[in-house]
Amino acid sequence: MTTPEVASTAASLRDAIRSSDLRLSKFNPLSRILTFDDFNEGAHGWVELGGNYNGRGDLDSMDEHFRDFRPPMLSNQNFFDVGTHGAMTGTYSLKLATRKAAGHTSTAIRRLTMSGRGLLQIEAYIAWKGEANLGGGEEANTYGDISWDANSHPTEAQFGAFTVATDLDHDGIRYHNVMRFQNADENGRIIQKWMYPTVAEPTPHERFEGKHDYGRYTDFTAPNPDDWTYLNDVRQEACYNEVPTKVNWHYLRFLIDTTTRSNVELQFNNDTYDLSHVPVPPYAEKYESLESLLNFYFSVRTLGPHRNFLFLDSVVISADW
Amino acid sequence: MRESQSAVIERGVDLVDVHDTEPFEVAWAGEARWYIHFLRPVEGGSAEFRVQISPDGLNWIDHDGIDPLVTDAQGFHSIPVDRFGHWLRLRSTRLSGAAEPLLRIYLELKE
Repeated sequence: MTTPEVASTAASLRDAIRSSDLRLSKFNPLSRILTFDDFNEGAHGWVELGGNYNGRGDLDSMDEHFRDFRPPMLSNQNFFDVGTHGAMTGTYSLKLATRKAAGHTSTAIRRLTMSGRGLLQIEAYIAWKGEANLGGGEEANTYGDISWDANSHPTEAQFGAFTVATDLDHDGIRYHNVMRFQNADENGRIIQKWMYPTVAEPTPHERFEGKHDYGRYTDFTAPNPDDWTYLNDVRQEACYNEVPTKVNWHYLRFLIDTTTRSNVELQFNNDTYDLSHVPVPPYAEKYESLESLLNFYFSVRTLGPHRNFLFLDSVVISADW
Repeated sequence: MRESQSAVIERGVDLVDVHDTEPFEVAWAGEARWYIHFLRPVEGGSAEFRVQISPDGLNWIDHDGIDPLVTDAQGFHSIPVDRFGHWLRLRSTRLSGAAEPLLRIYLELKE
């Protein structure tokens, strides 16, 4: 066989093996799988995003908006009405939970480095929920755009946003690829659109240099709402499934290219979006100690006094190098 | 090998009066241990800590097998926990003292 034929045969064989693997057949990874996490054996390196602290470990030395991203937890999705819901694979998923505070963000990150350049992809099955509410008066039946009608539930309007993003650095240039599903605004008005930031994330080093000092509930990814742009005007409909205790899993795939430091595409269930025009703003300043940094994070942000949850099961990071 | 997790439930919280930690799901774990560190002690102050459990993360009661820990508002303390079900939280109450102590609270979990 010629070299292209060998490569094609290898790819076909890889696809055939993957399609018969009960855990991987629901994914479409690139040729080299770097990580596979189904959260039935721990958090697999997904950890709370932490801020940078000084040589004494002083809390005050950390950016205030980086101090409280919350530890992710292994969840069996235990609800007041149905008991244990379980996950997509096995009993457990990884749960990111915010506080009941407008603007609070929970963030879990996975830290690797790159051993090559090229296409890089994260896939996940995800679900997002507001926290169930028990009690209260008639006001509990309405929030923002949604009044309970035995179809839609007000907790859906209480969910702010979830984000999938990178933190990458190679050849002296650091950058983030970021995509966010903005579900509702701070008043519970339904948005349900994809968006991306047009600026780089403010860093602890910039705070150290006196360039910023953000408050506790700042949107750490891009603090200024004007620095976010909708991907398009199309409402991304999804399956919240009526109440906060019915969990349906959605497929998410985010493909980027580290060779060109660019976005490629985003897939959400049956919708695939071209991201080649979506900017990836690099930092002008070189960062030390980060060569070949390869981080992915998921975050969930509430915009009201309601806990928001993001569930992950499973997550696959793959590359073509 | 047993699965384990250390969760920094509060990195630094001012204990004004009563503070409940965020609900944490622990169904997979067989044993747990809270650590409470007074990062900013209060001379002459005191505080109480209660381990609480829940079937749903919404309704909470005191753990039936653990007496509340009452301590001076200083130092480093620990509370072992077992037979806790699927959710855990810690209720901290400032009992006395002229100022608010600053707490760091860890939850350690193990299969």
